[in-house]
Amino acid sequence: MQRVTAVALVPLTLWLAVSLFARARGEYGAFILWLRAPFTTILMVLLLIALFYHMALGLQVVVEDYVHTERMRIPAVVVIHLGCFALAVAGIVATLRIAFGG
Amino acid sequence: MAPTSQIERGKTWPAPDGAIRVKKFEVYRYDPDSDKNPRIDTYEVDLDSCGPMVLDALIKIKNEIDATLTFRRSCREGVCGSCSMNIDGTNWLACTRFISNTAEPATIYPLNHLRVVKDLVPDLTHLYEQYAQIEPWLKTTTPVPERERLQSPEDREKLDGHYECILCFCCTAGCPSHWWNGNRFLGPAVLLQANRWLADSRDEATGERLDNLEDPFRLYRCHTILNCTRTCPKGLNPGKAIASIKKMIIERKS
Amino acid sequence: MANRERPLSPDLQIYRPQLTSVLSITHRLTGVALSIGSPVLVCWLIAAAAGPSVYATLHGFLGSRLGLALLFGWTYALCFHLCNGIRHLFWDAGYGFELRTIYASGWTVVAASAMLTLAAWIISFSLHG
Repeated sequence: MQRVTAVALVPLTLWLAVSLFARARGEYGAFILWLRAPFTTILMVLLLIALFYHMALGLQVVVEDYVHTERMRIPAVVVIHLGCFALAVAGIVATLRIAFGG
Repeated sequence: MAPTSQIERGKTWPAPDGAIRVKKFEVYRYDPDSDKNPRIDTYEVDLDSCGPMVLDALIKIKNEIDATLTFRRSCREGVCGSCSMNIDGTNWLACTRFISNTAEPATIYPLNHLRVVKDLVPDLTHLYEQYAQIEPWLKTTTPVPERERLQSPEDREKLDGHYECILCFCCTAGCPSHWWNGNRFLGPAVLLQANRWLADSRDEATGERLDNLEDPFRLYRCHTILNCTRTCPKGLNPGKAIASIKKMIIERKS
Repeated sequence: MANRERPLSPDLQIYRPQLTSVLSITHRLTGVALSIGSPVLVCWLIAAAAGPSVYATLHGFLGSRLGLALLFGWTYALCFHLCNGIRHLFWDAGYGFELRTIYASGWTVVAASAMLTLAAWIISFSLHG
């Protein structure tokens, strides 16, 4: 799954990076309008899912490599997955609020 | 995981008078019969009376300067794998490394992250145990044929790049994943041999071998760091062999 | 007669840094750096959802010297992790394992990630000033 999310992230992050760099320092209204477009909303949600899944798997591998005591490793991996899930949900909720808000 | 003992500065053995082409070798020393920490001894070697390879220098040091220097060696031509060690920071065979291709001073250490028996002799017991774990012999269920088990030239080619491994363990000793997880991660040398048996058309236990390898630690601690391929003194490619195993595992799932 | 545990031969302290190991650890470090930065992306979205004044406050921080330094670092981390990640995907497919190719692709990643980072920032500055 790390490779699958990686493949998805290549175009998604390129899209995000280019868009953000183009609009990042533009004004608030334009940014909101851009994010409200259905295409953008969908891509942003997909990006958040792929990003935080990829991140959780990646950090898990790092912990497994360096933390050898089970007592510390297992809670660390759980925290990583829960944290990434929470961040993904927060990001998706914010995106949807912008997309469907008034 | 025990720390490396604090390495100290040891003795310097100067070159004999009248020597013109002198080269310094800084060599890791450890004496198990004393309570002292490991140290670095510096030997000044007269290159005009020394063979061209690092192993020649080590033998000269042992014969003429310091008889206590201890290291493994045998064939002196790069085929037995005995004299593998860390030279100037990378792992290679002492007998195929030209002295002219070393730094000044040349730094000689034992293979990395292994228990040191004495001086440049590491304890390879665990590495040999890991090799045994992959069952490096032909496993068949079909009855023994009257003559040889035949193999086409194309199938024989699949063993190229695998059978030439001399089990010197330069690659495994240079793999950071094996440093940190060597208790369970099999390492590039063993995995290269695992692929040798997976690739052998005469072997009939492919599925069983892959089952044993498919493990987050035994195989998947490999993160394609590729120090192994970089350092192999026989020019082999353990990184590629490991990638081939990973591909086989994915392909048999689909 | 000593009866001590055998010492461990040195590893990181003496192993020569090579393109293989250096790029690999950089890939890991940039991944971790991006992980630390990802909450900022989420904050950005939350700030945008919360309204123009919250958004402006966040932008104020991001436009500060510290904020810009962090963003520049994250841009480089993203570009490197992306380029080296593509290199990794080629390896997963089985391509690029010959030593010459490993080195060629490695240097390409180093150059491409630096150029992409600079290009992104130059373009962004020229678009918005």
